[in-house]
Amino acid sequence: MEGRLANSWRLTVNDKNFIKTALLSEIRIDGRKPFEYRKISIKFGREDGSSEVQLGQTRVMGMVTAQLVQPYRDRPKEGILSIFTEFSPMADPSFEPGRPGELAVELGRIIDRGLRESRAVDTESLCILASKFVWAIRIDLHILDNGGNLVDAANIAALAALLTFRRPECSLGGEDGQEVIVHPPEIREPLPLTVHHLPIAISFGFFSNESILVIDPTHNEEAVMGGRMTTTVNANGDICAIQKSGGEGVPQRVIMQCLQLATSKAASITKQIKDAVEVVNTERALRKVKRHPTSTGVDVREKQN
Amino acid sequence: MEVDREDGRSQNQLRPLACSRNILHRAHGSASWSQGDTKVLAAVYGPKAGTKKNENPEKACIEVIWKPKTGQIGKPEKEYEMILKRTLESICILTVNPNTTTSIIVQVVNDDGALLPSAINAACMALVDAGIPMKHLAVAICCCVAKSGYVILDPTKLEEQKMKAFAYLVFPNSVRSVLPEGSLRVEGEPIENGIITSVTHGIMSVADYFYCLERGRAASVKLSDFLRRNLQQQSTDSSKAG
Repeated sequence: MEGRLANSWRLTVNDKNFIKTALLSEIRIDGRKPFEYRKISIKFGREDGSSEVQLGQTRVMGMVTAQLVQPYRDRPKEGILSIFTEFSPMADPSFEPGRPGELAVELGRIIDRGLRESRAVDTESLCILASKFVWAIRIDLHILDNGGNLVDAANIAALAALLTFRRPECSLGGEDGQEVIVHPPEIREPLPLTVHHLPIAISFGFFSNESILVIDPTHNEEAVMGGRMTTTVNANGDICAIQKSGGEGVPQRVIMQCLQLATSKAASITKQIKDAVEVVNTERALRKVKRHPTSTGVDVREKQN
Repeated sequence: MEVDREDGRSQNQLRPLACSRNILHRAHGSASWSQGDTKVLAAVYGPKAGTKKNENPEKACIEVIWKPKTGQIGKPEKEYEMILKRTLESICILTVNPNTTTSIIVQVVNDDGALLPSAINAACMALVDAGIPMKHLAVAICCCVAKSGYVILDPTKLEEQKMKAFAYLVFPNSVRSVLPEGSLRVEGEPIENGIITSVTHGIMSVADYFYCLERGRAASVKLSDFLRRNLQQQSTDSSKAG
């Protein structure tokens, strides 16, 4: 539809020059300093495993659900973790419904690598019956508002949702111990996931004039910047993933500077996530005294012969 | 007849309503609507140039995208999109901006019963926030009929599953006019007695259906008052420029 091109949002030349000139004097258009992060607010929904994160004007919602499935044949004793990113058309007029574009796929892969390959989520504890039944954890990330730096916000939403998710407890039963009985939440308390560490994604933007570096770009800055890099680090100082796909060439010392900055930011963000999760967990514990059956329990009896 | 509902409400009592407008920054209009634990977020982009292939270019066109909380988009979501589109087409003034498309995106945040009515209310508020011209507002309510014959309003998900039948009803908002005699009438009946949309699930007798309509209409007056208060309060907010 040719009309769609007329509807896409473009920054004017004047706006672009203004942003670049202001950065020369270390001023950003929203008043932040180059190495200052926007305000993060983490909220949780009614259900276990639903989170909503707001990073400045960017808003992302995360949902975690679990299902019993057969494991992959080459990994019979491990659970499955899958991440689905939805670039909802409500976030940006240029996002189209339907198949995810390359930005959505890249975002999903960065978060996936941070969680799965750094072994942040323990997949072996998700195994119920080797080669037969394991838990498949599905993380849905809905981008609601694109105010720039979607990767970081989506990562925090995924972590917050994982930390507050509870999976139903199940036990082996039946005549030969091969039947899996899933207990509804009213009978047995659901269990939290085992998360070893929290990989936090921190994004940087590079600008062409005199290799200027900013952290946490807004969508205006993203339209102007020459290159971007996302580093996923955790509070222990481990680097979980680095993603720099194309864009401006950057000298080595700038990369080292970014990594050091990222490690210090990661510590404060990790603390913020843990505090928010703590508050929600105490709230839920207090509510459990008179537990309202808001979630319908899953009564699954799977027999295998 | 006293009916025991799990959360202690009476037959005709609605859940606590909460609504906020202008919550997203990129969207032209946005609103979040919650009835008890059911929460829906709606965003509006528009009017955008051009219409889709099969649409009439002499009128404005409305496009609805329904995003479920989790999972793939299937037939139920397509049905919700169609119902929302037809409902909103009948309340918007389509002749004002011909050959344009207004997109409404509905995101389900939590589903605890009466999802479609909440979505219609949220979409209506988002359209007001975006400044799309409309004839009147749409006020949606859900009524259920139980096996024993009593009718309850605004069910939770558990209640919906136990009921024999339920109906989603959409009415125009109640009119508060300076000249009550001069208010709009269609064939002798005031316009707020009309029904914009009615979707039923399950079997109910004709008498039950009319009873639901009566209860729904009474509830829609309360909802209209809530909407009016909400819109008047927030009308002093700053405009969204650029």
